[in-house]
Amino acid sequence: MQIKVKCNCGDGKCPEWAIIELQGVVESQLAISDQINGLEIGHLCCSSLSSSSQLSYIFTVGYHELSGTKVQLKKPLLVLKKKAAVDAAGPEFPASSATELEVIGIIRQKILFKTRPKALISRAQAKKLS
Amino acid sequence: MAGETNGGWGGGAESVLNLVPGSSISVRYHSLFGPHDDFLLLEADEALLPDILHNRVTIRGQTDEEAVLCTPLATYAMKFVGTSNSVFLIPPGDPIPPCMEDTCNDSKSNTSAAHEVVPSVIKVASSNMELVLVAPHLDKLKSLLNERPYKLDEDVETDFQHNRSLYRWQDLLEQIQASEQELRDGLKALSAAEIDGFWRIIDEKTMDEILNMVLNNSILHGWPLNALEEHEVVSVLDADGYPRNITLHCLETFGNMVESSGCSFWSLDEKKVCLRFALQALGGGKMKLEIFLQKWRHCVPSGMHADLKMLEGEVLYEKLGFETWIRAFRVSALPSTPAERFAALFMERPRWNWKDLEPYIRDLHVPGLSLEGLLIKYTRRSQPSADVEPIFSAR
Repeated sequence: MQIKVKCNCGDGKCPEWAIIELQGVVESQLAISDQINGLEIGHLCCSSLSSSSQLSYIFTVGYHELSGTKVQLKKPLLVLKKKAAVDAAGPEFPASSATELEVIGIIRQKILFKTRPKALISRAQAKKLS
Repeated sequence: MAGETNGGWGGGAESVLNLVPGSSISVRYHSLFGPHDDFLLLEADEALLPDILHNRVTIRGQTDEEAVLCTPLATYAMKFVGTSNSVFLIPPGDPIPPCMEDTCNDSKSNTSAAHEVVPSVIKVASSNMELVLVAPHLDKLKSLLNERPYKLDEDVETDFQHNRSLYRWQDLLEQIQASEQELRDGLKALSAAEIDGFWRIIDEKTMDEILNMVLNNSILHGWPLNALEEHEVVSVLDADGYPRNITLHCLETFGNMVESSGCSFWSLDEKKVCLRFALQALGGGKMKLEIFLQKWRHCVPSGMHADLKMLEGEVLYEKLGFETWIRAFRVSALPSTPAERFAALFMERPRWNWKDLEPYIRDLHVPGLSLEGLLIKYTRRSQPSADVEPIFSAR
């Protein structure tokens, strides 16, 4: 069996996708867990570090704050999508190329939050709670 | 999916990647967020991108095999690598303004309508695929082609089993986990020929018969063995009922082409011809070395010199008392994956010295592993003292 990998983007013009990567899992509140489409995950904020040219990011998810950086991937990631093949290898090989993979994007950098989140509760609030 | 056909997903990846210091942006789940099992992430070296982006890459494998990815030249294993991190995938494209989703499709004003860019996560990826350069899986090619070797008298066979166990180039690409170049090299290494559109191994007896016909005719017609004129040889054998393409294949197998003044000439390769006669002389069993040498030297064509060096990787010697015996043991009949190759070798002999072992492993090519590395991985080396030859045994 053969599966062709195809790309219709044209020479080096694959649209670039983005990745936001963080430790663990983001969970929505139970009540709306089955209806998360369109829901906001968090707020992404960019600031530059004075010491270096590297950009730093703050990602606020609910009461959690994550800090991270933009990372260039050592090897790019291609986004492939499984498709039913349009043109098979030929009429004599109907079984072949029933599916094909299409390159629909490329990922060269990601925003990586590799530390554990910080709780966003002020001291005053914390005292009140205790 | 309206966004997909436009080439954009309305995901706003650009707004994430180009976020300038001092600004912030809201990130949400895409309206089409879901498991999207039809999306795969493939990690590919920068050097592989041109092949992938120009449609020169194919994934090959039967359902019971682990898939490999083939460029025109090389074969890569595909490894799934999981992650416990949350990898939010954000597709590119301008977000679709809300009015476009319902009524005002033909209105030109919607592009000017300032709409907040909200990057949208389409999927949380739990794994990606990595590529590891591997040797092609060519043992299957050998066994497929050995199902039905070509024989001279098969042309008279009835049609009803005509296409059984016969493989075209396209069939082989479907069946064999190798790049096109590796498959071509593999066919060449097996001395396979394309006959009536099918790739075949020629039965050994047939090859022997044709080689003998070439040699006999060379005596009869006074042809020099280092300059056989292709047209003449093929025509003479054709008159005796040997198909032209098979004769030509025989010349390719046992000789090298030399062109001179527009004519194709073939020079028979001494080593290849002598080896064939050695294997004929040995038959299946073992033989005293002296008797074998007598028999062998007697039957090689005059002008050719039989030398035991020609038989490296083809025969094994055994000392029984004062006598040395010889028998055929061909590297070409052994498996080509290192683990299976060493298993077969140690089944044959539990202990090997380097001189004997080397001809049986020098053709093994494993990306990223040298011959020395293979020995460390698959053998135990023992050397009682520095002036004694090392001995290799199974690990």
